[in-house]
Amino acid sequence: MLYLQTAVNGLVLGLIYTGLAVGLSLTMGVLGVINVAHSAFLILASLTAWQLVSSFGVDPLLTLVVLVPSAFVIGAALERVLIRRVAREAQTTALLVLFGVLIVIESIGILIWTTDTRVLDVGYLSGAVSVGRLSVPYSRLAAALLSLVAVTALHLFLTRTLTGRSIRAMAQNRDAAALVGIKVPQLTTVVFGIGTALAAIGGVSLALAFPFTPQGHIQWLAWAFLVVVIGGLGSVRNTLLAGIVLGTVVSFAGVLVPFEYTYLIVYGLLALALMIRSEGLLGAAERRI
Amino acid sequence: MIATALRSADTLAMHDVQAGYFDHDLVLQDVSLEARPGKVTAILGPNGSGKSTALRVLYGFLQPRTGSVTLGGEDISEIAPDERLARGIALLPQGHSIFAQLSVHENLELGAWLLRRSGGRLTEAVDRTYEQYPLLADLRHKPAGSLSGGQQRILEFARTLVLDPRIVLIDEPSVGLAPVLVDEVYGQIGRLKDQGRTVVLVDQNVEAAVDLADHVYTLAYGRNDLDGSREAFEERLDDMIRGWLAL
Repeated sequence: MLYLQTAVNGLVLGLIYTGLAVGLSLTMGVLGVINVAHSAFLILASLTAWQLVSSFGVDPLLTLVVLVPSAFVIGAALERVLIRRVAREAQTTALLVLFGVLIVIESIGILIWTTDTRVLDVGYLSGAVSVGRLSVPYSRLAAALLSLVAVTALHLFLTRTLTGRSIRAMAQNRDAAALVGIKVPQLTTVVFGIGTALAAIGGVSLALAFPFTPQGHIQWLAWAFLVVVIGGLGSVRNTLLAGIVLGTVVSFAGVLVPFEYTYLIVYGLLALALMIRSEGLLGAAERRI
Repeated sequence: MIATALRSADTLAMHDVQAGYFDHDLVLQDVSLEARPGKVTAILGPNGSGKSTALRVLYGFLQPRTGSVTLGGEDISEIAPDERLARGIALLPQGHSIFAQLSVHENLELGAWLLRRSGGRLTEAVDRTYEQYPLLADLRHKPAGSLSGGQQRILEFARTLVLDPRIVLIDEPSVGLAPVLVDEVYGQIGRLKDQGRTVVLVDQNVEAAVDLADHVYTLAYGRNDLDGSREAFEERLDDMIRGWLAL
């Protein structure tokens, strides 16, 4: 029974991890940009959601109505104003620019919300759903389902719509995309907007499931990278699988080994994934979506 | 001016074009070319003479620094590739232009990307392409990357023609193909001519290109070199090739 409960916890955790990582996977896979500011956007969304819930009593899921479009616009503007300028430079230049963005967002977060740890307290999510002896807190279940909806929507968008296909086409062959008349620069802006909008959804999911602080984004960045590296770039299905693998490993490690070994196991997994994917983070073989 | 007025709307031309990829480097120097409507115009020359760059300028991937590109006498130098495509100019580049992980059908749909806001016309365009290339209809659900080299080239041809362009720019059509497929490819180009399309062909395969061409230009060191009808070139083909090999 303990194992079944642990597996269920792992699945729930895995879905949440997937939600944190899927936007990062999209921008890295399609645009080849290593967005280190991704988790700063996650936390910014968590903090804004927290503010809307605690000050105005807005339902946490309703905060998405404001957060998703705003994040899209901010992400698109960031690409248009900053990333595009360095697109022709070495990849590390964009990395440094985004590191700067990360610092700015973190600083704004600390200025407005201080370094206190916040918890999104939602009355109707305080219980747990129980089936037999299995139980999952409502808040985590809501977070996992939110992630699942976002990931499914992204998958359907990329595979079933012509715009989604054009994004996959651009990921595979930018020159050929321009050749058939796709406006590659505009589509790049849209993809960065979508990646940031996904970060906003991930941020709300994170806030529902875990405590958070403005400076805590680095830890989540590590988790998101972990999922992306294990899953490979850009493939939504593989990102989902990787998230669930990671969630399951973390969940079982929490039960089977002392806490201090959890990170050792998780980063061992990362090392293993990197060894298998010897092309490196942006290896050509992984540039598929 | 009279000459310009008499030109057909399908005449694609470049006039005294200078173009290059880096600030200090000019690949094309005062190059002028004219693709006559319904004819095959071949651009030949040794490696590095600027042939492919000329096609990139005609399609709008590269802006001329000086000079102009005109379509039917209208200056289109500032117009982006997607708009040139909308005006009936298509480019078939030198290999590897398919979306390997997308299906054959998705590749063709993206070839009709400009019709995306009118779903009916997009579907019609893709269906018409299947009628012309029944082989692709059978392979429609396969990932394009799993096709053989020859099938991929056919897919590239078909995708270039989805929008039924009047002018087709073709860069090195036989590069990297097995010899048995080369005939097939030139057969395809012959078909374009029979259909009344204007073709601009850049090719290293000089004999095959001259064979298809109505008019031939040669470039050397990024400048216009020779210019004449096929008949004129056929006579001096051997001398020409010998000259390039010595370059």
